[in-house]
Amino acid sequence: MNESARLDVVGRPARRKDARGKVRGKAGYTTDISLPGMLHAKALRSAIAHARLAGIDASAARALPGVHAVLTGDGIGDDIAPTYGYFIKDQPIVALDKVRYRGDTVAAVAAETEAIADAALRLIEVEYEELPPAASIEEALADGAAELFEEAPMGIVPAYGAGASAELRPRPNVCYRFNYETGSPDVFETCDHVFEDVFHFSRMHHFHLEPFAAVAQWLDGDRIEVSTSCQNPFALRKELGRVFKLPENNISVRVPFVGGGYGSKNNCKAEPIAILLARMTGRPVRFALTHDENFLTNTQHAAILKLKTGVMNDGTLVARDSEIFLDSGAYSDASPLVAEKAGYRIPGPYRYRHIRTSCDCVMTNTAPAGPFRGFGGTQTSWACESQMDMIADRLGMDPLEFRLKNLIDLGEPFVPGESGMDSDLREGLELVAREIGYHDRKKNPLPNRGVGLALGFKDGGGVNKPAQARIKVSTFGDIFLHCGTVEIGQGAHSALSAVVAEILGAPAGRVRYMPIDTDHTPFDQGTNASSAISVMGQAVERAARSLRAQVLDFAADCLGAEPQDLDLEDWHIRKGNEALPLAPMIMGHFGGTGWEFTADGFHKAETDHSAPLETQCVFWELGWGAADIEVDPDTGLITVHKLVVSGDAGRAINPLVCRGQDEGAAVMGLGQALFEEMVYDGTRLINGNALAYRVPMAQDLPAEFVSITQEQGHGPGPFGAKGMGEGGMLPIAPAIANALFDATGVRVAALPLSPPRVKAALEKGF
Amino acid sequence: MSDTVSITCTVNGEPVAAEVPTSTTLADFIREACGLTGAKIACGHAVCGACTVHLDGVPVASCSAYAFEADGSEIRTVEGLEDADGELDPVQAAFADLSAFQCGYCTSGMIMLTRALLDRDPNPSGETIRKWLNSNICRCTGYELIVEAVAKAAEAANAGPMR
Repeated sequence: MNESARLDVVGRPARRKDARGKVRGKAGYTTDISLPGMLHAKALRSAIAHARLAGIDASAARALPGVHAVLTGDGIGDDIAPTYGYFIKDQPIVALDKVRYRGDTVAAVAAETEAIADAALRLIEVEYEELPPAASIEEALADGAAELFEEAPMGIVPAYGAGASAELRPRPNVCYRFNYETGSPDVFETCDHVFEDVFHFSRMHHFHLEPFAAVAQWLDGDRIEVSTSCQNPFALRKELGRVFKLPENNISVRVPFVGGGYGSKNNCKAEPIAILLARMTGRPVRFALTHDENFLTNTQHAAILKLKTGVMNDGTLVARDSEIFLDSGAYSDASPLVAEKAGYRIPGPYRYRHIRTSCDCVMTNTAPAGPFRGFGGTQTSWACESQMDMIADRLGMDPLEFRLKNLIDLGEPFVPGESGMDSDLREGLELVAREIGYHDRKKNPLPNRGVGLALGFKDGGGVNKPAQARIKVSTFGDIFLHCGTVEIGQGAHSALSAVVAEILGAPAGRVRYMPIDTDHTPFDQGTNASSAISVMGQAVERAARSLRAQVLDFAADCLGAEPQDLDLEDWHIRKGNEALPLAPMIMGHFGGTGWEFTADGFHKAETDHSAPLETQCVFWELGWGAADIEVDPDTGLITVHKLVVSGDAGRAINPLVCRGQDEGAAVMGLGQALFEEMVYDGTRLINGNALAYRVPMAQDLPAEFVSITQEQGHGPGPFGAKGMGEGGMLPIAPAIANALFDATGVRVAALPLSPPRVKAALEKGF
Repeated sequence: MSDTVSITCTVNGEPVAAEVPTSTTLADFIREACGLTGAKIACGHAVCGACTVHLDGVPVASCSAYAFEADGSEIRTVEGLEDADGELDPVQAAFADLSAFQCGYCTSGMIMLTRALLDRDPNPSGETIRKWLNSNICRCTGYELIVEAVAKAAEAANAGPMR
């Protein structure tokens, strides 16, 4: 393919490959699976926040007609490693000796129907010896606080590069601490000003509509087949192999369409219980949580972020020292990884001479927190971008000018050893500033009306993520794409197929994205970190280019031509003005049975000890945001008149899909900014269901909602693409808080900016 | 009290007669007894609308209705929208064309809600569209493309032959 030629597939707002299935109700999800003889599982959840298990009597439950098995901690034998986790293996399949939060899994039942399983749960008697709980970061870190784990659970610290380090359990109730430092702290002494501010970040729930769900069965007594609503099938397979002590080729993980995840569906969730009950009963078992249980299974991290920033009179940033505390809930889940990212991202995309951060994962007797869209970047963008405006105000500078002065240049490394910035940050910021009318905002100021900007920032594409892809093309040009990127809504199956179609000169409709089954699908580290197009996209691109080269070499041999004189177009060889069909050429050479061309592609960022996280960042994910708001001083209610969000797709493979990613992310950010929050009364979640927990709805859309997909062209992915989907969430809350300050001169440093909080702040006057 | 109840209804025009436990929800009846899994059970509290189907033309949250409430009724699900040749309803086509979906779990419900709106008001204003869509939840899209798809569906239906 001639790279300068116009693109036929990439860049067009075509129907997604999953469109027809999804609008007809025919797309298959894990929850739709029904197998012959399938039983249904339900879990008993602790109503106590922290207690030692003194005894469980499940005899009445086992005796209930229709019940096939009851799983309790004392029934787990030595043939199973009973706990799982990412870096720290601290979460039991069902409670072993203690419960650590209201909602912790105490037992599970497999029965003929969900109703029978539910009835059986009510017959299980549990005796608890209550322990004092730690409900919050402050409580868990207080002297004499109750410890969730008396002993350190098994865990690992991965290798880090220049300036980064981590430790397990640096103090009681902290399971992991990440540190990063570059430059000398002495520069603080040279600063004209040092500003110290504290920010609080509230906790949301992912609110994925498809629950955590898995359908498992055992084959031949020693092979697991599990279909699951999961974002990282290969990482899950590895963990299931460890837990069930099976080789990975005895475990098949299959992932149909996933009905939303936003980070939550990584690693073990419903799978271990479904698998264990399937083994106990010898029947397929379906374990689908209720939406209420989702709230108790995985959440975002609440956080306290303490920032100390040194700056010169002229607005030059010099140093940033940060201390972050994440509320990890009762089990570590992905907290160590989130800590790593939050600790790394807290400087924001600005130039400093010294950075030092520490980020602690604090264990509390609340639901486990895990990966959530933004992955620590939401927390850090909130604090960093709020403080940027606060510092600008203290220096008497315009917040936009202050940012423009300090932003990293295109191509400039984020920190020593890192990859260069792959977006023009100023271009994006000025774009949203113009769109919101930033420069004209003081011309006709309206009371209680203000405008704010923010720039969300994260390193994208994950750390050390290998991705492999395989493409086959049949004699007649039908294309099979095998790769492990899960279709979770982001449109990756269409985008990756479009890349293949473009390179092979085929219509997009000829590419079939094959069902994901770890038995056959090439390895992938997971559908997360906005990595589908930026990481897997590179593997797919290589596979497609390799296959294209094979076909052209083959045709050149057949035709006695040179490959560079040939082109591939809709499974014809284009030679000058001739279009020669490939199928007869293939059968002429290989015989009438035909032949399949096959090619593999692989991508992994190189290990690099000079990079703090051991590989350079794959791409930088940005979200530029701007808000024009009005606040009612009597009620504290904020009305967003106009919201602008912009991401840099590098190159949009499908512009409508890119737009949907930014808009969806921005509206999630709008919820976080204004009202959405898991509300705890001590250790008790008081709004853990859809009736009480408020997410943005259609009428919450701002009167004007503008999303702009930039295509700056500097991405590492196919055709210059970058990842998307998280960036759009990051700037929204700080942009709105900055607009509130612009409107009232009052700074609110805690989320959400709900009417009571805003009203109280207005009354207080600062 | 009888444990089961017999139901006679039509589902997408096909007559259905079944004996189901009295506690069976309409969603379970449609998904399990009828094998139509387009309607999804998500929040379980009639909040999100992923389970929306039409009961005698009225959009209802099937997760929070009993199957016996459908006795003698006409049930219409997302599977009943396309015509016999597989030609999509204008609402389905508009959602597909504008990528007004992402994960797809809310999509059947959104489409059935929109179909009910357009059955009542073929030319809804933007405000009416948002008001109606406010009864369902989409966590992926941020709604803007869905609002546009509803407007596009209305336009297409009005431009094309009467359905």
